Amino acid sequence: MTAQLTDRVLDELIAALGKDYVLTSKTARMNRARVPAPFPVHRWRERVPDLVVMPATTDEVATVVRIANEHRIPIVPRDGGTGLTDGAVPERRGIVVDVKRMNDIKEIDLENRTCTVGPGINMLKLNEVLAKHGLIYPDDPASYPCSLVGGRIGTSGWSLVGSRYGHTRDLVLSFEIVLPTGRVIRVGDGGGRKVSKSSSGYQLKHLFMGHQGTLGIATEATLKLYPKPEAEFSPFWAFADFDSAYACVGRLARAGVATFAGAVLFDEWKVDYLRRDDEAYIPQPEDVRALVCAVCYGNSDEVRAGGKRLMRIARDAGARYLGDEISQGDWAARHDRYATPLHGRTADGQVAPMSWHCEDAAIAYTDLATVRTAWHDIVAGLRNKHPVFDDWGMFFYTSADTGVDYLTEIDVGIWEQELDDASWAAWVDAKREIAAVALRHGGSISACHGSCREGEVDLVPEELGGGYDVMLAVKRSLDPNNIMNPGKYGLQRAYEDQP
Amino acid sequence: MTDTQPTADGNGHTPVTVEFLGNWRNAAYNCFSSGHKFCREVCPVMQVTRNESWTPTAFHANVVAMEQNELTIEDVAEDYVNCTQCGACELRCPNTLFTGDFYRFRTRTVDLVKQMRALAVDNGVHQPGYQRWNQLTDERTHEPVLGDLPVSQEHVADWADGLDLPVGGETILFVDCEAAFHRTSVPRAVAQLLRQAGYEFGLMREQWCCGGPAAEMGYRGQSRRFAEHNLADWRASGVRRVLVLDPHDYITFTEDYPGYFGADFDIEIVLVVELLARLLADGKLTPTVPVERTITYHDPCRLNKRKGIWQEPRQVLRAIPGLTFHDVDRVTQWSYCSGGGGGLPVEKPELTAKISAARIDKAAELEVDTLVSACPWSERPLSEAGAARDIDVVDLHELLAESCGIEVRR
Repeated sequence: MTAQLTDRVLDELIAALGKDYVLTSKTARMNRARVPAPFPVHRWRERVPDLVVMPATTDEVATVVRIANEHRIPIVPRDGGTGLTDGAVPERRGIVVDVKRMNDIKEIDLENRTCTVGPGINMLKLNEVLAKHGLIYPDDPASYPCSLVGGRIGTSGWSLVGSRYGHTRDLVLSFEIVLPTGRVIRVGDGGGRKVSKSSSGYQLKHLFMGHQGTLGIATEATLKLYPKPEAEFSPFWAFADFDSAYACVGRLARAGVATFAGAVLFDEWKVDYLRRDDEAYIPQPEDVRALVCAVCYGNSDEVRAGGKRLMRIARDAGARYLGDEISQGDWAARHDRYATPLHGRTADGQVAPMSWHCEDAAIAYTDLATVRTAWHDIVAGLRNKHPVFDDWGMFFYTSADTGVDYLTEIDVGIWEQELDDASWAAWVDAKREIAAVALRHGGSISACHGSCREGEVDLVPEELGGGYDVMLAVKRSLDPNNIMNPGKYGLQRAYEDQP
Repeated sequence: MTDTQPTADGNGHTPVTVEFLGNWRNAAYNCFSSGHKFCREVCPVMQVTRNESWTPTAFHANVVAMEQNELTIEDVAEDYVNCTQCGACELRCPNTLFTGDFYRFRTRTVDLVKQMRALAVDNGVHQPGYQRWNQLTDERTHEPVLGDLPVSQEHVADWADGLDLPVGGETILFVDCEAAFHRTSVPRAVAQLLRQAGYEFGLMREQWCCGGPAAEMGYRGQSRRFAEHNLADWRASGVRRVLVLDPHDYITFTEDYPGYFGADFDIEIVLVVELLARLLADGKLTPTVPVERTITYHDPCRLNKRKGIWQEPRQVLRAIPGLTFHDVDRVTQWSYCSGGGGGLPVEKPELTAKISAARIDKAAELEVDTLVSACPWSERPLSEAGAARDIDVVDLHELLAESCGIEVRR
């Protein structure tokens, strides 16, 4: 289904948006064909959209969607384009709806602690403004300096401090969304814009979170705000082996400390990798084999008390505190550091320019250790066959304040310049195997990135069971012509029995 | 100006393009593959256009696409005018932040933009505004900063009328085109301050444009010719030291000239604001006249972001009595810009105006009456934006001169 972009469609779009905001140049289209997830560069041209529009208002978005729906042209919403599951990648060309211009702050409500913004605003920029009021919007992904609120809704984002403040689904109170037919609705808990709990009607907010652009385009959101924390405490601890670190992180997360905002476990592969190639870790002695860090936010008296309790728990679990410098520095650097490696190594230790990629899943605490070994085996098999891959170890991050499940990720260096069809096919197989392990252990394919890339997407029906059939029914009902980000999540199946 | 006739190779690229792609291939992949995009929200052009095609990420990705034969220089050239070469993106790049010390790697987007513009010119792809600007500069030996009013060699030192400054000597003051012909109060203030401090200097014998703007817009040959003239003039008159009051000149003389002349370039380049900070510290200058203004300071991009110079201007400001100073730290100012640099106002004056208006908005939030800059090229767009908000834009050298009892006429 390649788009038939006639002059008439182009004229209608220009009439709606003005010619400055209907982009047809090759560079404009090619630069909206990608996200940071790796892809064989020689296949770039397969994903280039036919044109790009940059609407400024909800009405303009709705008009574009109506035009596309009328002419049966695929639409791909694009916010920051920083996702790792290709949500913003046009698989079937068509029109990319880039909402970055919709970045205004429409209201800051100090009494109710909310703000209402356009989907194109970045959280860091928003927080620069909120800071003047002593407030913060604590949605804190690794891409905090560049991802945008609308994309966080479309992907149902995960936040590093979500164990304390909740994730995007909790922090967005309500939002406006343009449906695939061009109709504009508002979803939240019930109908009110500033309601955090309602029991009126279906709870539609979750339906329109994480749909990866297959159900519409968010055009305005009302967000929950918190007092800007007075204090931050971010201890890093070392362990002689993975098992003690694993036991410790469980105890920290289950402790019920109210200011606890998250904990991260680094396994031996991760520590080896960092000690090999990351300045901050090179000096760490050999008996440092696994790490845990925790972080608390809140009022200073509460953080101090909570921090003391966490330090005691860690000490009792055999942890060695790594010192203030690495603790404060590494947590402060969490956004910049996540994808820093500019290189990996081939099996014989030679440095090669590699980019970072990570596969993630949501896994219950009790299954982390076994998932870990299975995943490393998969990546080892991949690396044996294709030296363009390098195992950079695993992180486990708490998702909730009770320690139930962890965002579990394996970081893989990929020498993208050398990625050919054979190594790409092997990577896709590995991704599918990684997802299968997560499902075998009762987890979910993704806690954070989404699951609509090649490989893992094949297993989404298995993960969701009858729920996937509901997804198909919803998709067909809301998007009768399959124009909204077609090809994602295997949702073309919803239309296969149509004449 | 190198206007080599393009000869296509097997991949459709000219030899000069093939060489360029070889030079930039790995740096472009380092950005393309990691795809952080942390640069985006600090980029002044991105902030006002929200256009992803005009981001540092896109500027690198285009190189990859050219290498893959998906794009040509003709396809990409026009996009590269959308950059002020402020350098914020490089500072914010995780590849610079975390691998810079370890591997001596640094993301060099500013250089990439300059080289891509040069590649366009070398392939005969011209932007009309740049072409005309550099043609006029070539004819007049100065940039056409006064529009239709002529600039010329005989008027380049008009700003110094009545000051009786000597010509030549070991130390000369080099005045950029904007200050020499438009913001003449700045060089007058500088000259009188130096005289008050007892610091000896002269004017340049035959000063041409530094050549930096030509290099920024891609006219490398012209830039080099201007540099050769200026260096020859310095050598012929025994100049050992060049004082510069303009951050753009400072970049040109400390980065471009050494690139042209290598180890032979042995002229000492002194930034006037650093010199003034030293003269104040040494007690050679003592500002005593209170200046009753509520100010904030605009960190010129080429000082703060490109050269790491942010302390000395603040030292100078803190020495001036009467000022109420609402400072904004230098890191926050990574995302500020006047929009006046890198040739942007030549091709996209409307973007320059938006960027300077956004900068003035930041100053207005602090409830100041004055925005102080230390870069003549920023002062024209900022003044225009400031007029609409009742914010006066004053040069740091002018302010210091006023406090030292020197009459400043703007």
